[in-house]
Amino acid sequence: MKYLKIFAVLFALILVFSTNDANSQSRRRARKKANLETVQWRYEVQGVGTGREGTYLLKVWSYSKSPQVAIEQAKKNAVHGIIFKGYVGVKQGVSTQKPLVNSLVAAKEHEQFFKKFFADGGDYMKYVSMATDGAVAASDRMKISKKEFKIGVVVSVRKDELRKELERQGIIKGLSSMF
Amino acid sequence: MRKIIISFCFTLFCCSLAFSQAKKPTIMVVPSDNWCIQNNYMMEFDNQGTLVKIPNYKKALQENTELLLVISKLNGLMAERGFPLKNMESVLKSLESDSAEDAMIASKDMGMGAAESPVDMLKKVAKADIVMQLTWTMNKRGPKKSITFNLQGLDSFTNKQVATATGTGTPSFSAETVVLLEEAVLSHMDNFCNTLMTHFDDMALNGREVMIRIKKWDDWESDLETEYGPDSDELSVIIEDWLADNTVNGRYNTTDATENMMNFEQVRIPLYYERKGKQRAMDTRRFIRGLSKYLKSEPFNIVNKVTTKGLGRATIYLGGK
Repeated sequence: MKYLKIFAVLFALILVFSTNDANSQSRRRARKKANLETVQWRYEVQGVGTGREGTYLLKVWSYSKSPQVAIEQAKKNAVHGIIFKGYVGVKQGVSTQKPLVNSLVAAKEHEQFFKKFFADGGDYMKYVSMATDGAVAASDRMKISKKEFKIGVVVSVRKDELRKELERQGIIKGLSSMF
Repeated sequence: MRKIIISFCFTLFCCSLAFSQAKKPTIMVVPSDNWCIQNNYMMEFDNQGTLVKIPNYKKALQENTELLLVISKLNGLMAERGFPLKNMESVLKSLESDSAEDAMIASKDMGMGAAESPVDMLKKVAKADIVMQLTWTMNKRGPKKSITFNLQGLDSFTNKQVATATGTGTPSFSAETVVLLEEAVLSHMDNFCNTLMTHFDDMALNGREVMIRIKKWDDWESDLETEYGPDSDELSVIIEDWLADNTVNGRYNTTDATENMMNFEQVRIPLYYERKGKQRAMDTRRFIRGLSKYLKSEPFNIVNKVTTKGLGRATIYLGGK
């Protein structure tokens, strides 16, 4: 009986750890896929309001089989979008904005910098924050297939600081760079 | 070893001096004539029998707080981008103070005032190479208010629009006008700077676009149809040949040509020139001096006078100083 109890506890522990391990592996795979989709431009960025001075207020739509990963990936997609894609304003009074880096050549030349910048936990995190503390409206959470969600998250990107950093790195030119 | 290090440092120092930077244009925010008319900031004066209306910028800056707020915001945002603007209010005050000082000053020896020609007096106005012309209107639809904002970057010399940002802001029930104005500035500034940057990129690639005028003094016996040289070329053709040789990719456009005057637009001058082994920034004055010297030399021997206006406009008067 005693051995049965020990065996049952051990079995339960093994089950818990292996489930956690399976979940974290699944999340790792989902995050890896999400990072690949970011590089492949598979996300959408919309301007939803005039942010405070020096910021853009955006809604970022990300795709993932894990809603949690999609919410986290939204931050990376927001900064990636501001740098390479630009966005369209979807409300009256919100202007369309061009990307900060509008040359693919510049993006290629500084590939190493961007690889490090957009690494998980990289410097991109300095320039973005959730506008609604991560809360997602029900209408912004869509299941688009059996295994995939499309999640819309509102974020605030500190575009002035981001632009200054890119100018410091010589990736884009400032207004007074040639004078 | 020490000699090698010193030589290397000296070489680096010389290299840093060798690379100059282009002449930076001045930019100033100015309310548009349309805005001044809508807000009753115009003054009238009799110009030889014709009533002329011109904007009264001084009154607008003294009385309209919203205008000061918008100008301040624009100046601040541009300064943050490393491009501080000229402040119109300060320029107007400086002009008044300089005029008062010039009127008072007298030389120690003879008690004479500072020399000032009628042309000098005409040039005493607030000016900038690029004018950011500002217009906004308040729209009211029932209780909702919104602002239509228009910001144009105008080159003072070529009269071209080099940058723009325009749009209508988000309507609001409760926000004050100043808040709506601030939002309008914030939402349009980046687009304006992007179009301005495109203009600067074009300048870097194709040279600065300027205007050149050729005129002659009344008492000069020759004119632009006078023939010179072994090929008996008219002076106008000789000037066009010089421009073709000295502009970037031979770019210029002869818009007007008579025996008394020529106007050249879309003239692309290089941003730099070399002098005594150093690269220096070029402006229209330096560029047109080349033509002036060429006309003074053999076989032309034409005495001439050069006047300039900012970075982008120059006039040569042929036949005397």
